[in-house]
Amino acid sequence: MTLHKICNPAGLTATVAIFFYFVASSQSFALDGNEILRQVDNNMQPQSYEMYRKLINIEPDGTAKEFVLYTVKKGQDKMVALFLSPASEKGRSTLRLGDNMWLYIPNVGKPLRITSLQSVVGGIFINSDILRLDYQVEYNAEKVTDQGESYLLELTAKSPSVAYATLKMEVDKKNVLPTSIECYAISGMLIKTLHYSKLKDFGNGLVRPSQLTTDSPLHKGYRSVMLFAKVHKKEFADEVFSLNYMSKVDELR
Amino acid sequence: MNSASNYFLPVLILLASAPCVCAEEEFSFDLEKFEKKMLQWKGYAELKWEHMDINHGSAFSLLNPSTSSSTLDRYTGSLQIDGRYDRGMSSINWLVKAAAWQDSIGWYDTTDVYEAYLSVKAPPSFTGTLGKKSYKWGKGYAWNPVGFINRPKDPNNPEEALEGYITTGADLIKSFTGSVQTAALTTVVLPVWEDVNDDFGVPDNINIAAKLYFLYKDTDIDLLFATGNSRSTRYGLDFSRNLASNFEIHGEAAFTPNHKKITLHNDGSLATNTQSTFSYLLGLRHLTENNITSIIEYYHNDGGYTAKEMGRFFQLVADGESQFLSSNVSILLDKAREISLKGYGKAQPGRNYLYGRFTHKEPFDILYCSPGITTIFNLDDRSYSLSPEMVYTGFTNWELRVRFSYLAGPSFSEFGEKLHSNKLELRVRFFF
Repeated sequence: MTLHKICNPAGLTATVAIFFYFVASSQSFALDGNEILRQVDNNMQPQSYEMYRKLINIEPDGTAKEFVLYTVKKGQDKMVALFLSPASEKGRSTLRLGDNMWLYIPNVGKPLRITSLQSVVGGIFINSDILRLDYQVEYNAEKVTDQGESYLLELTAKSPSVAYATLKMEVDKKNVLPTSIECYAISGMLIKTLHYSKLKDFGNGLVRPSQLTTDSPLHKGYRSVMLFAKVHKKEFADEVFSLNYMSKVDELR
Repeated sequence: MNSASNYFLPVLILLASAPCVCAEEEFSFDLEKFEKKMLQWKGYAELKWEHMDINHGSAFSLLNPSTSSSTLDRYTGSLQIDGRYDRGMSSINWLVKAAAWQDSIGWYDTTDVYEAYLSVKAPPSFTGTLGKKSYKWGKGYAWNPVGFINRPKDPNNPEEALEGYITTGADLIKSFTGSVQTAALTTVVLPVWEDVNDDFGVPDNINIAAKLYFLYKDTDIDLLFATGNSRSTRYGLDFSRNLASNFEIHGEAAFTPNHKKITLHNDGSLATNTQSTFSYLLGLRHLTENNITSIIEYYHNDGGYTAKEMGRFFQLVADGESQFLSSNVSILLDKAREISLKGYGKAQPGRNYLYGRFTHKEPFDILYCSPGITTIFNLDDRSYSLSPEMVYTGFTNWELRVRFSYLAGPSFSEFGEKLHSNKLELRVRFFF
């Protein structure tokens, strides 16, 4: 290439155009943590769906206690879960509408307000793990680090009512799905780590982890596992997500 | 390396790698056994042993002459079964409880249908019901002043099933976007005839109750109303709201313009007075970082008896005892027994109470173990009950509970005049 060729008007125009193209392109390639978070949410579940889950609490001696839940969700912040097993919990349901959570116990016969930090199953999972909203509803991505095959998202809670003040989420670049999430209290203390694994095709293009394992430095030796099955897109009326409907969730199956 | 180390080294390596093997373990999830069935039922079987130290000389021990020994042991077996049969838009629902107990006084058994009703749905907005159904209105944990058609619950066991009334009801739900997220209207018709809900109130009347619920700006709000000639008309309001991820507050207020109250006068006569009453309850539920849940409630029962009014009743019992000892005549004791059934013998007949329940879930990393303590304090006469307990749910479908209740108070006070001064209870439940 000669200087003359570069300096001619047509060549100069082309060079400037290429320059601006790359400047613009480099801006679009800048890592947008909230966009990654949005993709994570989209890849983890449809907007409105039903699913079955098994929760297993494992003690250090290997003793395990299992719970089976039928769960439905609509939009970003409406969710209800019904306990199908064990018999001692059967018929209980939990409802979440945004920051509000309730527990319905058949014997008690009326919904009681519960808080996100409580646990209706014991073990390491708390209520906000069991009735988890989309990540983008509760968190802002403050920082993104490119780690080669994964991103590290540092997420901060949008309000003090969210159970974990900050999350460090490792996201697999290829599938844009979380692989591990560290959950921190507002004091900066690590509360627990969630590990997503076992990618599974649930149909209709939904490929996501089918197993979630968690451990906690606060419960050394204890583990809790969540298995996902029959995650299906399904539409529900808004009225399903109301206190009066909590005793009737089984009718949705 | 000697031969022993040849064996031990691989074993040590295997042992060291054991956690890695666990991390890769396979979990199965067979969904077939959770398929929905038309007929569903569940329940529990319970065995309970209670040991009571009788509070000799107390008003209620004098009214129960059969408790002549210093202790009372009671063995109770009970069975509760509830179920549902679904067919199309309708379902039949039931809850039956049977219990039998043996103590030093005798043998008792009972079988009660708590609920049996037909439910018809036009999902998801409308549900109609017909039959015997239990309603649990109100946000309070221990008491519900707005529970206009509730059976009163036992504050020591507020999560137990309660018997319903024969009613017909309709439930309408509507969701919105905006400040009001949900609205729901529940209306109930409750007749009282001979042998139909006859313990609700004055017979040969049709009563109507309604509850309008809103979820408004993250606050549960209920407006309640009940009218009919079986009981006086009453109006109520309750609310509940989470202030933080670990802190909930709730409250109830009930206004009864024409509350009828049976009162014992100084001359020993009984009179029914009509007065307007305003009862209320304020409560909170808090969870600490180390998993201690606190439920604290203050309850003002405007229709309850003052310490002075309760004192008159206890004096009547004392006079009755003196009469019986001096002349072997039980006229006054019989009168006191009759009066106790008209309100003075209720579980909490007073006006101002403080309730506290504190449970520590899984302390010291002991899973499924919850020690707790419950207290009910009568603020008017300074008497109280204190009940420490331990609940263990580590065996799937089994629940073990041991509880000790200590009752104390000055003479002529509510808890100082109860039948027993303390009680030890061991309860085992198996859920199926």
